[in-house]
Amino acid sequence: MTSSKKSIKPARYGMTIDLDRCNGCGACMVACAVENNIPPVPPQGGDRKGLTWIRVYKVDNGVEGAGRRSAFVPVLCQQCGEEPPCAHVCPQQAVEVDPATGIVGQMPERCLGCRYCMAACPYHARYYNWWDPAWPAGMEKTLNPDVAPRMRGVVEKCNFCHARWHAAREQAAADGKPDTEPVSYVPACAEACPARAITFVDLNQTPPPATGFRLLEKLDTQPKIYYTSKREWVRKIADAPHPGKEPSRG
Amino acid sequence: MSFPKSISATLPFAAGLLIALAAGWAAFPRAIYKTVRQPVNFSHKVHAEKGGQKCDDCHSFRADGSFAGVPTLDKCAACHAVPMGTSADEKSFIDQYVTPNREPHWLVYARQPENVYFSHVTHVKVAGMKCESCHGDEGSTDSLRPYQEDRISTYSRDIWGRPAAHSLFRTAGGMKMDDCVDCHRRQGLAHSCLDCHK
Amino acid sequence: MTTTRRNLFKLAGGAAAGTILTPVPWRLITDTALLSENWPGVPQPKRGEPSVRFGNCSLCAAGCAVRARCIGGQPVSLAGVVEHPLSRGALQSALRNMRSGERCAVLDLRPGRTASWTYRRAMASIPNGTYLSASQPAAVDLAAVKTILSLGVPVLDGWGTPGNVLAARSRFRLIQAEASESRTAIMADEWLPIRPGSEAALLAGVTGGSIAEAAAQTGLTEQQIVSLERELRENGPSLVLGPNGEVSGDVLVQRREAPVPDEWKKAVPVSELDSMADGSIRVLLIDESAPGDYLPWPAIRGKLAPESVVVSFAWSKEGYGRQANFTLPTAVYPEAVDDIPPAIDCPVATFRLAAAWVAPPDGVVNPVEFIAGLAGLDAKNALQERASAIQKSGRGTIFDPAGAGKPADLWKALQNGATWIDDGEAKARAKTADDKKRSSALLEAKTADDKKRSSAPLPLAIAMAEPHTPALVSPLCSKVTYESNLRLGTHGAALHPSDAQGAGLTTGSRARLETAAGSVTVDVTVDDAVPPGVIQVGGGPDLQNVCGAALRARVVRS
Repeated sequence: MTSSKKSIKPARYGMTIDLDRCNGCGACMVACAVENNIPPVPPQGGDRKGLTWIRVYKVDNGVEGAGRRSAFVPVLCQQCGEEPPCAHVCPQQAVEVDPATGIVGQMPERCLGCRYCMAACPYHARYYNWWDPAWPAGMEKTLNPDVAPRMRGVVEKCNFCHARWHAAREQAAADGKPDTEPVSYVPACAEACPARAITFVDLNQTPPPATGFRLLEKLDTQPKIYYTSKREWVRKIADAPHPGKEPSRG
Repeated sequence: MSFPKSISATLPFAAGLLIALAAGWAAFPRAIYKTVRQPVNFSHKVHAEKGGQKCDDCHSFRADGSFAGVPTLDKCAACHAVPMGTSADEKSFIDQYVTPNREPHWLVYARQPENVYFSHVTHVKVAGMKCESCHGDEGSTDSLRPYQEDRISTYSRDIWGRPAAHSLFRTAGGMKMDDCVDCHRRQGLAHSCLDCHK
Repeated sequence: MTTTRRNLFKLAGGAAAGTILTPVPWRLITDTALLSENWPGVPQPKRGEPSVRFGNCSLCAAGCAVRARCIGGQPVSLAGVVEHPLSRGALQSALRNMRSGERCAVLDLRPGRTASWTYRRAMASIPNGTYLSASQPAAVDLAAVKTILSLGVPVLDGWGTPGNVLAARSRFRLIQAEASESRTAIMADEWLPIRPGSEAALLAGVTGGSIAEAAAQTGLTEQQIVSLERELRENGPSLVLGPNGEVSGDVLVQRREAPVPDEWKKAVPVSELDSMADGSIRVLLIDESAPGDYLPWPAIRGKLAPESVVVSFAWSKEGYGRQANFTLPTAVYPEAVDDIPPAIDCPVATFRLAAAWVAPPDGVVNPVEFIAGLAGLDAKNALQERASAIQKSGRGTIFDPAGAGKPADLWKALQNGATWIDDGEAKARAKTADDKKRSSALLEAKTADDKKRSSAPLPLAIAMAEPHTPALVSPLCSKVTYESNLRLGTHGAALHPSDAQGAGLTTGSRARLETAAGSVTVDVTVDDAVPPGVIQVGGGPDLQNVCGAALRARVVRS
């Protein structure tokens, strides 16, 4: 589907998340749901079937009692580099990396719901619609017309609020800016964070922080989300040294 | 009448073939489409000539670049609060819509599924395309053509391009995904899924 | 040609081959796929003209400025206003038959509004009319503070104006004294783990009371408490936030109110529920439409006369609606216009409105007009009259997110989201002997309560893990409650594995939480971050009712 000739100057969007600022409030999670028309799931779904394109986990240093220290880690689609594991395994070719933005696009309209991509994603950042979207009566009036709601049976995930990229490009076109100039926009989570923990950047313009680390670097997925923290134990958790025994919840 | 054996052997097959072809190409389109009339008998020609209006006087862009599409009642009522001419159509429009402040439910020929994102400003302002190249020469029509609605999917026949042959052989016109992709390829443009989907 | 079965099959075969060469099967397949995208199971967003509106959210005391993206006039999303100086980006019969000594009282859960003045004026016209404020508004100058000692107060998780607190974060050192590692404790500069329920003792210890007693109750050493007190003294200006709303320190300021019309000054004074005699309130009108501090029902019940009438004005039945005789439905943000009083961390007076962006449903009541009507007072234009008084005073500056500069008409600007900010430097409030007296009195009261209950000691101490949430929580808050277990929901409770095991509970169990004040159903989460012997509870009114006044609990499987 993707041709190689480029008519616009490509951007490579990514994020820097400061784990020393995140206080686990969850405003990013709710803002994401508002922007992307993500419905609340029925309570029987629990957290195994929740639809949380961005999800804040609580981790700790594993010490009991007064020596315990905790931190919050927002995890969203890590927008893996050129060859994301999910794109590899999709039988429908419903996942592809946009050359203009670097965003890994998930196409729910093409997805057949096999959930192979959910198994392939090492970050558990993909979510399946177990139910048709259902908002409480009257709340459909508040849906965002720039994002299409998904039916049940398909997988969805963060796409860096692509509707806002569309809107930014339309504004640039209306303003007469040249087509080759990349646009700047802010996804809902970065906009909502009261602690300014999430910074959305174009990695082609802003190099990643020198002290930044990424989740599960050893898997060589080349994610575009960089985390920073001054705490050594938090950096160590990003490598998941004890898979399955991580002291984490949420 | 008796036929030579070889012909008689293939006759039922050929008959079945011909019946199916006739039913599929002639009868099926009549069955699958329902003709619905537009709520108001609107004449583009009259508004272009007498009103001196161009496409974007009513089908305009907003300041943020989004496209307003089919105009809402306030645009029409700005001029037609009182009858501007003598036609019965205009009078019934004023009586049924302007006076009770009721929005007409226009049937949009180019209506796409919810997950499709089309940026008018990119195609019109940046690429310099003309309205007619995708929508046809609406501006000079004296009445709106009837909306042929697919009974199952509710989309307009215009999405497929007028000839039924478009279903099998891609001819010009039509607003399906393949038509957009073909044009993008001809122009040598890079494209990816999220460019046109939301 | 004869009609044989073979010929029939040939006919069918021809028809099948022919059908494949027609649009029929391909079209039907495509149409079925298209139909599946449009079926009623998937709601379609409405289209409309996009617009932007500015306003202020009145759902909590912070009153953050909001920018609403509207489609066809309907707000579809809200975002903060980053440049806003306050929020920094980051909501007739009982009356006639009252006996002597009985009161008619309005309980205002969010005092300091213009509505509060209207209630005070209305009560002046009603025999024995009383105005009860749920809390004492205090003001703190965060820009000046260098050290904060918080005794379980969620400073970084909903206190004050969150955007403002987080923006000032790098300027102060925060010591969080709390039983478990709450969100604020995680982000604080120092977390002092203390025994649950000992916050009042520690408060006394650092404000001149007994250090030995504080050490005994909290589990800290006397040395730690002495050095804490020294740090507060030497690393000032400092601020101490107590567990029951106590605020003390050098950064307390005297905040004058936004100007009011002179005619309004004929109003009853502000009283507190505690100062009412038991059983003296005959008619109680609770304005719950502007949620603020939640007073546990048992505290209110004690003040009600035998044949009392309680009317609650609320937008949800989940609050006092369950105890009141009558609940009158009100509009909720953004359906109603109200002004938002300045939050605790705003050192100067402000005036800003939450405007009505959508029409409320039929049948809602405006509590201000209703109560004013009881007194024969016309309060329809109270907000506008207040705005005129403010404009006439000539004081203050105006921040207008729509960027219009200094507007000529203050009232119009306010309706479009502008904020009036008083000028004048924050005048430090003189420290009074009352501060010390109040905290030691509280300690005595708590110890007395404990002694009363020591006949049947309950095993678990209660820690309020989540700030009190307004009774109606947005359906999308499921994202942070049961869809991710990030926060405890309105009926959530968390236990250490050893306590959970003892009660036979696992994550997801339903249980009954029992305290001296009552019992409530809770949804259990097992979490080894909770200290043993403590139960963490969520913020719903059900839980606040039974946990607010009591300190110890037991949980049994339901």
